[in-house]
Amino acid sequence: MTSLPLARRRRGRQVLRNTVVGWSFLLPNFVGFAVLTLVPVGLLFYYAFTSWNVFGGAEWTGLENFRQMLHDASFRTALRNTVYYTVFHIPLTLGAALALALLLNQRLRGVAFFRTVAFFPYITSIVALAQVWNMLFSPGYGPINAVLRGIGIDNPPGWTTSADWSMPAVIVVGTWREMGYYMLLFLAGLQTIPGQLYEAAKVDGANAWQRFRAVTLPGLRPTTFFVVVLLTIGSFKVFDVILVMTNGGPGQSTLVLSQYIYQKGFVENQFGYASAVSIALFAICFVITIVQFVINRRGTD
Amino acid sequence: MTLLEVPVADTRLALDPPPARSRRGYRLLGYAALLVAAAAILVPFYWMLMSSLKSNNDVYTIPVQWLPDPVVWKNYVDIWQKSDLTTWLKNTLILSVAVTFLQVFTGSFAAYGFAKVRFPGRNVLFLAYIGTLAVPWQSYMIPQFILFSKLHLSDTLWSIIALQAFGAFGVFLMKQYYESIPDELLDAARIDGMSEYGIYRRIMLPLSVPALASLTLLTLVTTWNDYMGPLIYLRSRDLWTIQIGLKTFVNTYNAEYALIMTGSVLSVLPIAIIFLLGQRYFVEGIASTGLKG
Amino acid sequence: MKRSIAAVLGATAAISLVLTGCSSGDDEGSSSGPQTLTLAGWSFATTPEFKTLADGFHATHPDVTVELKEYDAANYDTQMVADLAAGKAPDIYAQKTLKNFYTYQNGKQLLDVSDVASKLGDKVGGISSYQADGKTWAIPYRQDSWVLYYNKTLFQKAGVSLPDGSWTWDDYATASKELTAKLKAAGSKAVGDYEHIWQSTVQGFALAQTSGATIESGDFSYLKPYYDRALDLQNAGAQVKFGDATTNSLTYQAQFGKQQAAMMVMGSWYIATLLKQQGTGDAEKFEWGFAPAPQQTKATTGTSATPVTFGDPTGLGINPKIGKNKEATAKAFLAYAAGADGAKALAGIGITPADTEAVKDTFFQLPGVPQDDLSKFAFTKHDTKPENPVSKYTAALQNILSDLHTAVMSGSKGVDAAITEAQNRAKTEVLNK
Repeated sequence: MTSLPLARRRRGRQVLRNTVVGWSFLLPNFVGFAVLTLVPVGLLFYYAFTSWNVFGGAEWTGLENFRQMLHDASFRTALRNTVYYTVFHIPLTLGAALALALLLNQRLRGVAFFRTVAFFPYITSIVALAQVWNMLFSPGYGPINAVLRGIGIDNPPGWTTSADWSMPAVIVVGTWREMGYYMLLFLAGLQTIPGQLYEAAKVDGANAWQRFRAVTLPGLRPTTFFVVVLLTIGSFKVFDVILVMTNGGPGQSTLVLSQYIYQKGFVENQFGYASAVSIALFAICFVITIVQFVINRRGTD
Repeated sequence: MTLLEVPVADTRLALDPPPARSRRGYRLLGYAALLVAAAAILVPFYWMLMSSLKSNNDVYTIPVQWLPDPVVWKNYVDIWQKSDLTTWLKNTLILSVAVTFLQVFTGSFAAYGFAKVRFPGRNVLFLAYIGTLAVPWQSYMIPQFILFSKLHLSDTLWSIIALQAFGAFGVFLMKQYYESIPDELLDAARIDGMSEYGIYRRIMLPLSVPALASLTLLTLVTTWNDYMGPLIYLRSRDLWTIQIGLKTFVNTYNAEYALIMTGSVLSVLPIAIIFLLGQRYFVEGIASTGLKG
Repeated sequence: MKRSIAAVLGATAAISLVLTGCSSGDDEGSSSGPQTLTLAGWSFATTPEFKTLADGFHATHPDVTVELKEYDAANYDTQMVADLAAGKAPDIYAQKTLKNFYTYQNGKQLLDVSDVASKLGDKVGGISSYQADGKTWAIPYRQDSWVLYYNKTLFQKAGVSLPDGSWTWDDYATASKELTAKLKAAGSKAVGDYEHIWQSTVQGFALAQTSGATIESGDFSYLKPYYDRALDLQNAGAQVKFGDATTNSLTYQAQFGKQQAAMMVMGSWYIATLLKQQGTGDAEKFEWGFAPAPQQTKATTGTSATPVTFGDPTGLGINPKIGKNKEATAKAFLAYAAGADGAKALAGIGITPADTEAVKDTFFQLPGVPQDDLSKFAFTKHDTKPENPVSKYTAALQNILSDLHTAVMSGSKGVDAAITEAQNRAKTEVLNK
């Protein structure tokens, strides 16, 4: 009977000890993070309920900004385009990055060179990247349409100059640019999978595909989770690729939320409304991330 | 997935070795495919390189000029004379190194707390980290700038260090990696009387070399290529980074495109070299071999 | 007791003296002592006007040093908004785009400079653009206007008669098509005209030249004839297609400077650029001139009428946080920049100042500037309307009109459908929000 409170007390002491130790690890990063990022982000949540104009004036307007958002057709367009981008960009980039990582994790002659090349789209200036891709996509003079005409397609798409094809074009470039980035994360993740597991699977007679499903995928689970969360957030926040490729056009065909936020804030000086749109974007990302966390946890348990 | 089937000296995924001659044929084919893909990926860089050898009004033409005519080597001389490229490179280097160091150190340190120490409130705190990733920077840029100005950080190199060094990215990346390191390894060390700090330094850090390498490279590249951060925070000429500096070749109605491309080529090269050197740390870590014993 | 009170008072006074001394710094001097003004500009390496003004002012006011603060050309307003919000902005800052003037004025980030404006009188073009609530908030030092540039060499090669100031847009379109056909026949790759991708190349003229047209009305039907003409020229092959220009990032400097097109409407800033590029070899050497922009109707054509064109002024405003004692000096700087002396200094480096009549001689003495009468007429005589008339709604409406521009010019939407959509958006998102 007496052992129960004792055990509880011992556990309590253990929790306290762990809390102190845990916080001591977090502190160097957390202090910087809390002061420099968390505080301004917190302010944003306040500004979303005001008519903030950046120069001090922030009149409390309650839910007015959110009400306005409900009736804002451009917001809906931006949201729809953002979802369009995200739905295609995530699986494409995930697939391309994983394939590259698997390929470049082999013992290859010149693997260092090939890895560097795969990373190049990410380090090359995004402006140069966008300009080259735009040239390739050029409806009248671009090599892509020249090839399409060559194989008998008489009316090839207008790509970045057409309302229907601008988003696919942007998705291709977004994937192209980021695959090397996520490849690097997968490459690191692949190193955690013990080689013996592959040997054992081979002995059991598993073919390459079976080994990939039984060994590689489960071993990459923490990395894949990380990559999927980052990709989701990154795709919802997509900004610079759009800005340099199409600047949202033609018309509003590639207008995305981040760009809309920038426009409302810095161009139209409605920072209160821009804050509210950011909060909406945040809420969407956050809910999806939490769902991903829950699924991930269920999978590991 | 077909790429995976190309048996290029593969120890893990390849099919059982086919007869030697056809295997060599496959391998050559595989290399040829890789080289073609590599060339295709490098097209934008190639164009950048060629544009840096053109005169300004030849950069954008219809149709595209894939070879400069005439070749203008002068750009590579002009850029050093017309601009403070040395200062820009120096500042960029200082920032990249400092940010990377702090991000890797504090990030991996905090990640250990998140991954391997159980304490109440841990998950909520971690969600706060992830949550800030989901807020677009341009929406809280101004409140942050006002805060930094009050702290007398703006228009100093410290502002960029403070801005970039404590992000959620490094914490998240390292946490995920640590979670793939089995707890049994740590418990064994705890029984041996090692403190948590000792475990972090002696076991976790050496085991997470590939993750540290990718965090280092990604942070380095992000800081090196960052444009908006320095744009908002660094106003004095002598603090400019390369990305800001190159923008001085653009004014309202005109731009020196050839020089911008020259500068971009010069800015990409150091990163490419660092990457080439750094990628060798992506080898099967001791993490997986550690399980053997 | 009394002594200690006196001591405390003395110490307090001393401390407050030290404190005020510290906080005001070089603001201390009266307007007669040496002073430093800070001035915001952008891209100094390629934009010499700020240094010219600073040096010119220092020459006449040796006590005053104007210190330049460099900003990014493309993100000037983003940086300036941040600096003003944090209270770190320079004493004087340029109003780079008229579109954003309302943000600064409405946000109380500009000092009333009505007294400077009243002293300058009405010789300075564009000053009315900076007036709101019955006061003047910035003073223009530069007023570009859009003109028609033409390549005499190509015109002669094609055997088409040069612009004579009598052109309407229909004359321009006819000439462009004729040039295209005849240049092709003469074995040249050049086309009739180049129309740059900016929305202003169509909308600026439509707004300025259509009587009764305003952006704020939310009625954009005035754009239709201008878009119909632009699309017709594209489809006739007389100018590069919009989609090809955007995807290939074409620059107007190369299109005109490398003789790819025989005509181009562009702002007067291009005069100095073309002169410079012909000097450095970036542009080819050919004979050129400029004429008044084509007109909507014959009523405003011919050298006896005043051609209607557009162009936004660039002005200087004063940060209200400037020290009281520096206010007078800052206003003197604005008066100098907009006045005859500043105008001459600017014309000397090829910039179109706000007062063009006063600098005609200086400007046309620059080496390489076309000497024909029509160029001189185009430079001095014009009714320049603002592209971005100042209002609360301008920035938001221009965003909608920009979407209309890319949709129509790329051919992804018909003119009528795009105008209807823009009008609906203007109504629901901006005007009746």
